[in-house]
Amino acid sequence: MAVSGGRAARRGGLGAGEVATRAAPDARRMLQLALAGVWLLDGVLQYQSFMFTKAFGQMLAATAPGNPGVIASPINWDARLIEHHAVALNAIFATIQLLLGLGIACRPTVRVALGASIAWALAVWWFGEGLGGVLNGTASPVNGAPGAVIIYALLAVLLWPADRDATPAPFTAARAVGAPAARALWLVLWLSQAYFALLPANRAPQALHGMIAGLASGEPGWLGAIDRSAASLTSHQGLTASVVLALALAAIAVGVYLPAPAARAAVVLAIVVAAVIWVVGQAFGGILAGRATDPGSGPLLLLLALAYWPARTGAVPRSLGQSQGHAADGLPT
Amino acid sequence: MTIPASILDIFAAIMLVVATVSAARLVVARPWLRGRGAVGADIDISHLLMAIAMAGTLAAGLRTLPNDAWDVIFAVLTAWFGYHVARDARRAGVRALSGARCAPHLVHTAAMLYMFVAVTAPAASGGSGMSGMGGSGTQTLSLPILGFLFALILIGYSIWDLDQLSGPGASGHYSLAATRIVPASASGAAIPALAGAESPAAAFSGLTSAANTASPASTASPASTVSAASTVSAASTVATVTPPAEADRVASCDPDPVPGGAGYPLLAPWVATSCRIAMGITMALMLIIMI
Repeated sequence: MAVSGGRAARRGGLGAGEVATRAAPDARRMLQLALAGVWLLDGVLQYQSFMFTKAFGQMLAATAPGNPGVIASPINWDARLIEHHAVALNAIFATIQLLLGLGIACRPTVRVALGASIAWALAVWWFGEGLGGVLNGTASPVNGAPGAVIIYALLAVLLWPADRDATPAPFTAARAVGAPAARALWLVLWLSQAYFALLPANRAPQALHGMIAGLASGEPGWLGAIDRSAASLTSHQGLTASVVLALALAAIAVGVYLPAPAARAAVVLAIVVAAVIWVVGQAFGGILAGRATDPGSGPLLLLLALAYWPARTGAVPRSLGQSQGHAADGLPT
Repeated sequence: MTIPASILDIFAAIMLVVATVSAARLVVARPWLRGRGAVGADIDISHLLMAIAMAGTLAAGLRTLPNDAWDVIFAVLTAWFGYHVARDARRAGVRALSGARCAPHLVHTAAMLYMFVAVTAPAASGGSGMSGMGGSGTQTLSLPILGFLFALILIGYSIWDLDQLSGPGASGHYSLAATRIVPASASGAAIPALAGAESPAAAFSGLTSAANTASPASTASPASTVSAASTVSAASTVATVTPPAEADRVASCDPDPVPGGAGYPLLAPWVATSCRIAMGITMALMLIIMI
């Protein structure tokens, strides 16, 4: 029996020649795929039974108080609408998020999906998260401020499949917007978190304790135990914890302006902080308790940090696959 | 609190489509006529069984077998793919665990096994078991962290599969030509050698070249001990494959060819991969819902 070309190549053609016809995804594409995975997880979480009840609309409405009227009114209108049409609207929301994930994973539609994800993320940031509590004084880096969903949009911008400069970028996030803009965005994000950590509501003696202790309910035993231990550690230590956290976040913020070794250390610190916040401060976004609308800000901050990892050679290669008419991320050049 | 039945019915319908496609692939490929040479049939069988089981879980009206039967079925399938992964790991190291051969199928069947073993009946439904999630109570899983990890891995594989399927070299290569087989008599003793690829990229690079059938004769580089035994020559639209090692010949986890000269779009690799994507997402959904 003989096999046609494709088959033959598939069977025996596993060597370098065949593999070379298809460049492996580059770092940016891998990060895009990770973002796609988070969107897909987001969509799947949106299909949970809780989201099809009026409680979902009420949860959205709870983000409105304290915001300026021009921000709060649309949130209340949206929440009421969802309460009345919970099944239909939530099914649409979940499907949109599922499609965003699939669209980013599918190479021909990556631009459309990333663009749509920016618009969707901004809408959810307003109507679903009340701008992350930025304007009503409730934002805290521990609970995901300035809003997990805004980081989706930021990642979509930074991972946009285009190269701004002809010269190699010093890190992946700089490819689309350029290094100065990418560093500025990083600075704003992490400095804003440092600022939120020092808000009166967050530096109160029992603020952090209460936030973490409240997560334990409904979580698996081991995760609940972690939360209770962390809550115990931070009991009456709100100010100290906030200052330490703010200093760490500020160090991360300025780290990308430092030479590569220090920048790497800052990125590593960002990864550690993101992981600690995700596990201790967000209990994996509440996924294991069945109450998560998204996986929380931890994984997104982790992705963001990876996008700023300084290139070993000082520059990220731009077009490994351009000889085939495609950029290294597989998109048409 | 339950998910609207109509939502679950949509996913159940998708699973029925997957089951139908997998069954059709088996019928067209007729693996029972080829004995040990019928490599890859286990994929379609596992897809068929998983899709039927998931459809029954999503919609009570589609329930077919009792949970105990599914436990046994998925334990056997998990052991089968686990054996293949272990064998590949011995030969190719950890690449076999991250590659596109048996590892994804192992994860899928293991996730199904976990889902049926770990499910706890909802109190509200009086312990009706896993007879659809749209009942009077929401079923939950013991060891939810395991369910979460399975969901993450399934989503990861689905995203990776979709990326590879839609890659620049892959477009247009999941057509009739990709599955065209000519009788053995045309090339002597050559046989199908579904050794597959050692990595996701390599797996799909083979598909990538499906349309490049005019490439000159080439000899595969021994990228691994698995592929080293296979020498491929391609001429025009037909290539021959010399027999690889016996163990490779019975290697599984790759779409199956069909005897005869005609092309079969249904047997194209992208069809099986698409089924895997649909099942991966649906399975992740079910796991998350039941956490």
